[in-house]
Amino acid sequence: MIVFEQLNKGDHSLRALAWGVLLGLLLMMGQLWRVQVMSADRYRASLQTQSFKSVRVPALRGRILDRNRRELVGNTPRYRLDLYLDELRPQFEAEYLREKREFVAARRKAMGDSSSGGWVLEFWNHLRHRSKTVRLTSVDLEMLQRQSRYTVVSNTVAAVGSRLGTRLVLSEEALHSHYLNRRFLPLSILPDCNPTQVAQITEQIWAIPGVALEQVAVRSYRYGSLAAHVLGHLKRDDNPDEDREEITYHYRLPDFVGAIGLEKSLDAELRGTAGTKAIQVNSQGYRHHQSEELLTPPQPGRNVVTTLDLNLQSAVEKALNTVKGGDERGAAIVLDPLNGDILAMASAPSFDPTEFLSPITTTRWESFHNKEPERPMFSRATYGEYAPGSTFKVIHALAQLENGLDPNEIFTVRANPADPGHGVYYVGNHPIGDRAPPGEYDFRRALIKSSNSYFIHYGLHMGWDRLLSMGRQFGLGEKTGIGIGEEATGFFPATEDIPRLGYRQGDLANICIGQEITVTPLQMAVAIGAIANGGQVFYPRLVHRIEPYDLFSDGAPERVLAGQVRGEVRLPHRYYELVRAAMRDDVLDDEGTGKAARLPDFAVCGKTGTAEIKGNGRKDKVTWFVSFAPYEAPRYVVVVMIESGGSGGGTCAPVAKLIYRYLRDAETGQTKGLAGG
Amino acid sequence: MLDTALNRRESRIDWPLWLAVGLLALIGSAFIHSVTADTDSAAGLPWWRYRSVGHLIAFVVGMMFVGGLCLVDYGRIARWALVGYWITIPMLLGVFLLPPVNGAQRWVKLGPANFQPSELAKLTFLFAMASFLARPIEELRRIENILKGLGLALLPCILILKEPDLGSSLVFMPMALTMMLVAGVPRKLLSRIVGFGLLVTSLALVDVLLAPPGWKFIKLQEYQRRRLLVFFNVSDPSPPGSSPEMRRQNRLLMRDTAVNVDQAMISIGSGGLTGKGWRQGTQHSLGFLPRLGAHNDFIFSVIAEEEGFLGSVTIIFLYAVVLFRGIRIAGEARDRLGRLLAAGVVTLLFTHIFVNIGMNIRLMPVTGIPLPLLSAGGTSVLCSLVAIGILQNIHLYRRHY
Repeated sequence: MIVFEQLNKGDHSLRALAWGVLLGLLLMMGQLWRVQVMSADRYRASLQTQSFKSVRVPALRGRILDRNRRELVGNTPRYRLDLYLDELRPQFEAEYLREKREFVAARRKAMGDSSSGGWVLEFWNHLRHRSKTVRLTSVDLEMLQRQSRYTVVSNTVAAVGSRLGTRLVLSEEALHSHYLNRRFLPLSILPDCNPTQVAQITEQIWAIPGVALEQVAVRSYRYGSLAAHVLGHLKRDDNPDEDREEITYHYRLPDFVGAIGLEKSLDAELRGTAGTKAIQVNSQGYRHHQSEELLTPPQPGRNVVTTLDLNLQSAVEKALNTVKGGDERGAAIVLDPLNGDILAMASAPSFDPTEFLSPITTTRWESFHNKEPERPMFSRATYGEYAPGSTFKVIHALAQLENGLDPNEIFTVRANPADPGHGVYYVGNHPIGDRAPPGEYDFRRALIKSSNSYFIHYGLHMGWDRLLSMGRQFGLGEKTGIGIGEEATGFFPATEDIPRLGYRQGDLANICIGQEITVTPLQMAVAIGAIANGGQVFYPRLVHRIEPYDLFSDGAPERVLAGQVRGEVRLPHRYYELVRAAMRDDVLDDEGTGKAARLPDFAVCGKTGTAEIKGNGRKDKVTWFVSFAPYEAPRYVVVVMIESGGSGGGTCAPVAKLIYRYLRDAETGQTKGLAGG
Repeated sequence: MLDTALNRRESRIDWPLWLAVGLLALIGSAFIHSVTADTDSAAGLPWWRYRSVGHLIAFVVGMMFVGGLCLVDYGRIARWALVGYWITIPMLLGVFLLPPVNGAQRWVKLGPANFQPSELAKLTFLFAMASFLARPIEELRRIENILKGLGLALLPCILILKEPDLGSSLVFMPMALTMMLVAGVPRKLLSRIVGFGLLVTSLALVDVLLAPPGWKFIKLQEYQRRRLLVFFNVSDPSPPGSSPEMRRQNRLLMRDTAVNVDQAMISIGSGGLTGKGWRQGTQHSLGFLPRLGAHNDFIFSVIAEEEGFLGSVTIIFLYAVVLFRGIRIAGEARDRLGRLLAAGVVTLLFTHIFVNIGMNIRLMPVTGIPLPLLSAGGTSVLCSLVAIGILQNIHLYRRHY
């Protein structure tokens, strides 16, 4: 090195100094190389973690639309008033200093400070570092800071409140918890501003630092309780898909997850992908210079286009409400027998999903879930298991025809000795009463007058196997696969279960007329659909397609979910024709039980049912009307079920009639709603 | 004739030295601006009161001092060495009569600027020591002269340690030892002194770090002790048998102390090879570097973060130019006094550089000591320039005319 050569050759001490300096400089360079080049990544990582807070931003939830893309569930903006603590920091500081001064003064007074020592002593004390200083512990300082923060924030909140003409209160604990956990985020001081307040705020906002109006999306169920059991509701979800996320968030903005219905079963589609916001924070943990960056923007969820028809759905619910003016418990389903589409599906009583967006009281929750017998949350259409009663006879009838029954064969029903107006049938020595009168019955009359004796007689003759396998082919005893979680299987045994269940002739007689077994209204709708279309058992379809949130964006292409055939009940065509004709006559014939559903120009085909159930020690009834229309070319299946009704023909058939009238008018373009509804 | 004139003309001013010095001062100003510009503009200061501009003003004033200094031969200045020394000592004592600033008594308010007597003490000690050691070499073999020399260093050293300003007090012993070495004090004697010094230092360290509370003979400030503990990677300094609450408190205190070093390391390390760019560093703007230190004691962290390894190496290269020019000037000096003065200045600067950068990159414990010419602080810039001016003076008067 030049320096060394130029030094005097004999100058050992200066050379030693030069070597020492060189060594020192090289040592520093070596350490710098280690820190800045070799460990740079590690230090960069720690820089990231300490100066950025990642916040999970939930995505806009996909909308739920009806088959004509009318919105059933959407999102509406809500205005929230926020307070940014970082912008109040100068005030915190000033207030802290003021409170500290007061605190010290008070403490000094308490210590009994009498400055009577004279200046000589004071100077001497000063020299010896003994000037009477008030020692503040870290606990004191902490307390003072916390106190001054609250003073400033609560004053600001109160000032905002007085300008808006409402009293805004912020508790000390709420502020402290916010400060400890998420001071880099704004503090919400008014969660839902009404339009007047929004106007006031936008006019006056400039005067108060740190206050900002934030727009947030809120789920909106714009038709309230309409189709609530199908659509479902949301619940707060504070740790959504935590285990699947790559980032450990410092904070998650409030998010919701579907709790029931489509909101739950299609949650993955509706939810979208949450985004990440990075907020730069300073060493005190406050947001730095309003720097927020959306690292990954949230991807909105996908829209679900359902098969429901908004107008029909509301017509169906109105029709259902005519039974007891809103106090009824029951279900009504309209299904397209040609493809299994659910056009409307209602359960009563219903609930408003909006209530579940904000915290709900325990008593309210209890009244939703557990209040007997209403249980508004109970999706009776899909989850309720009821004895089908006489409506099962249409399936039984097909089993009989398959078994070789001659439809013209006459069976004579005996009069009941105890009740001469009605028939009776003896299984062994046990009489089973009949609501139909005694007399001569062929196949058609047995169906339209719903003769128990006729069906028990031939049923016992036919045996278990054909009856049960026919029911199971129509999908009884199994879930229909509609695609919402709240679905029951019902109880419908297979032949091989009979010995295990220990069933005897009496049980077979009961099953022949739809007792001892249970079905859901939806299962009945699917089965009736199969009878109407000649044996095609569909998976009921509730979701028409799933499409991007914004149709004009180039998101993933829409998905069309076609109707799927679950199975086919292969029977000669005339068997179906016989049953269909009998169902038509049940409504058309003056002798039929379903004549209350009769509608001019629209051949409704139906079957009534009144099942007796023994529950809670008292007798109750489930009444049914299962039907399709029009006879010539079935396009609609309507199933109505009412708990504790009078009779199928008296209680349910009129409801079906209202629904069919709406459908007929809608087809002819004269939808005036439900006259007399 | 022409030849000599040219020679003299060319070599009167040590250009490489002053080029490096000027660059360092400019770089210093630029990065002080990076740290303080936002606060200064927020405070509504006029441009000429910005701290980055203040740095340049201190540089210009310092250069005037240097100009004045070069008018007089260093030999003549050295005659006043002892007078200067004995004026400084009372000033160091006088600091204790003034109210403390930031918990330490280092500053004297002097018009617009705060003045630190400890900085002046380094210079007056330099002259005193140099003129003391400039005596005939035979006298330096006598042990009482050696002890006198050490005493000359220990007196300001201990006074400054009491201020408390550990960093500045650290400078005196290396200066004394280097100057003794250069003066020709027998190596044997020197190594004994160094050995003894090391022994005392390690005993002192053991006492400070490990001894139970009743056995502490060396009274360091609690924060100084904690800084040393941080350097030796002790995270829980509680004596055995202390309560969990005390342990928790101690650990918290240790963490708070470690924060500065850790954050300086994060600054420097995250700069990587090429840095984030001027004014792009986040560590000081987000307040992770100490608010009062980012533009002075921790200025190197800022430069290293914003300019990366290349930037830090540039700084070290510029210092190397200054230091090796200084050593060369020592070699060329016309007499022992000049040689001693130059060696003293080099040691003074080097100790500052090594202790300051070393504390930023964890080669040294944290002590408050400025980085010559880069750290903001008028006194430091002035004294560094005067010290380098002394080198120029020796260079200028290297021949008898």
